[in-house]
Amino acid sequence: MANLLNLVQNETIKVWKKRRFAVVLLILLILIPVFVYAQMKIAQNSAQKFKGDWRAELQTQITDNTRALGSDRIPEEWKKWRRALVQQLQYYLDHDINPRTPNAVTFTRGFMDNAVTLFIPLMVLAIASDLVSSERSSGTVKMLLTRPVRRWRILLSKLVTLTLYVSLIIVATVLLCYLISGLVFGYRGWGEPVFIGFQVSGADVNTSGVHAVPQVIYVLMQAGLAWFASMVVAILALMVSVLVRSTAASFVTMMAAIIAGAILTNMASSWHSAKYLFNVNLELTSYLQGTPPPIEGMTLGFSLAVLAVWAAAGLVVSFGVFTKQDILN
Amino acid sequence: MKSTSWLWRGLGITSLVCTLLMMAGFGWALKDNWFPQAGMAVPKSAPPPSAAPGSLASKKELKIVAMGDSLTVGTGDATGSGYVKTAADGLSKTMHKPVRVLNNLALNGLRADQLLKLLDDKGYHNAIVQADIVFLTIGANDLFQIAQNGGSMAQGGDLSPEQLERRMPEVQTRLKDVWAKLRGMNPAARIVYVGLYNPFYDNPNMQPASDLLQEWNRFAHGLSVSDGNATVVPTYDLFESDIGRYLSSDHFHPNEAGYARIADRVVQALQ
Repeated sequence: MANLLNLVQNETIKVWKKRRFAVVLLILLILIPVFVYAQMKIAQNSAQKFKGDWRAELQTQITDNTRALGSDRIPEEWKKWRRALVQQLQYYLDHDINPRTPNAVTFTRGFMDNAVTLFIPLMVLAIASDLVSSERSSGTVKMLLTRPVRRWRILLSKLVTLTLYVSLIIVATVLLCYLISGLVFGYRGWGEPVFIGFQVSGADVNTSGVHAVPQVIYVLMQAGLAWFASMVVAILALMVSVLVRSTAASFVTMMAAIIAGAILTNMASSWHSAKYLFNVNLELTSYLQGTPPPIEGMTLGFSLAVLAVWAAAGLVVSFGVFTKQDILN
Repeated sequence: MKSTSWLWRGLGITSLVCTLLMMAGFGWALKDNWFPQAGMAVPKSAPPPSAAPGSLASKKELKIVAMGDSLTVGTGDATGSGYVKTAADGLSKTMHKPVRVLNNLALNGLRADQLLKLLDDKGYHNAIVQADIVFLTIGANDLFQIAQNGGSMAQGGDLSPEQLERRMPEVQTRLKDVWAKLRGMNPAARIVYVGLYNPFYDNPNMQPASDLLQEWNRFAHGLSVSDGNATVVPTYDLFESDIGRYLSSDHFHPNEAGYARIADRVVQALQ
């Protein structure tokens, strides 16, 4: 056990010294202000139009979406999405709750919803993709393997390290989002109510299970779900990193898979078996939001099961290959 | 070596805490999904302000709420402003005060019976209680669907004026109900009802319908007179002389020029 802890310490320090996490932080520090600025412009625009009357703004949003539902030019999938949105917004309006109070927590919530499919996986890959392959390309893996340590322990220590960094990345994203957007929107909003539990079934939204949670709890749940999705991405990246010698190849492979997933979720609603792919199931936070899933019949339980199976398979392959493979060159 | 050990301690503990936090969040999300609990009590928001009583001239700022059918949506206007925005801008210029369209709630294809139901919506309520002026167009779709004998819309040839005449009273009742409900929600607002025109004026078969639409407009005018704080803006004459110039390509809705003319009328009626 102490042996494993030492290995984890070694790995953690290695990743830190390679400044992988610093790169992630730098990306966040550059990109979040960009989004904050864009959001600020939107907020200014609507403040000018609605003079702070959020009810009028909400009703306009409902009317606009309802008008779009009447148009024949809009594809049926988009209509489904809009119909659910209209019903949700109407629920907020009926209960006299502003769904988007302007503050840092609301911004963080919106950012996390958008970041979970592409942005966060990308940052996870920055650390996960070269965890094994870099040792191979630089040759240090031989040093590592000549030590009197079982091979599976080495890989396990890398996996533990990866878990720690995935958690760090998500917490850092949430914190930086909050801290940076707070400069503009104010650091309030922890206790604002958010409605969750919208059940999308076909064209209708079932509101019987809807209940309100404080926004801070919502963000925590969001982060937890994003963390699970990121862990699956990390484990699969670790597998690819074991299989492929070049870091670039391993990064590109994973990135392609994730981007393909993002594209598929937008167009795969008629290809039903696509729901068994891991990359279509990454947007776990959408179940919290209550937006219609990309493919009919997907639920939180289903997505978690699919992701868990992929992760388990990824682990079997990684450990199987890493403990058996010959290290040449 | 010393610094590395401190780095490990800080990094290890921080990342462990983060991991536990993420696991807690994940667990909470699962629990909430499968075993939801009664949520937090929802706080009460301050109610929307009501419109101040008084004449339009005495108010500092005017809020407009528009509702009804595609005419109020502005369908057919390539610039997207319809008569509502243009009239608001025009009013702002002639009355020398800010005039704001608070909400345009109109939906394409809306009928009076549907509007009657929508008026119960919270969003409609919130908007209407604040309104100083209400723009309304409704009834055209009701009448059109009654007159239609299952023929195509663009032709106009399959429309039956006789049927329209026979069943017009039921639609008139609908308009009366909408009007009464609207007035009940906001006793102070000026209601501006934009009258109907005959988009099939150039079709000889449908010229008798013009008389019927006049009958409809007369009825609306009667409502406005008994209401006391309302105006019916006539539009039928705008489209009779050169119908092609003011109708959009669907031969049903006005185009930009048509909407601009309606907006002029609305501004004149409110001055």
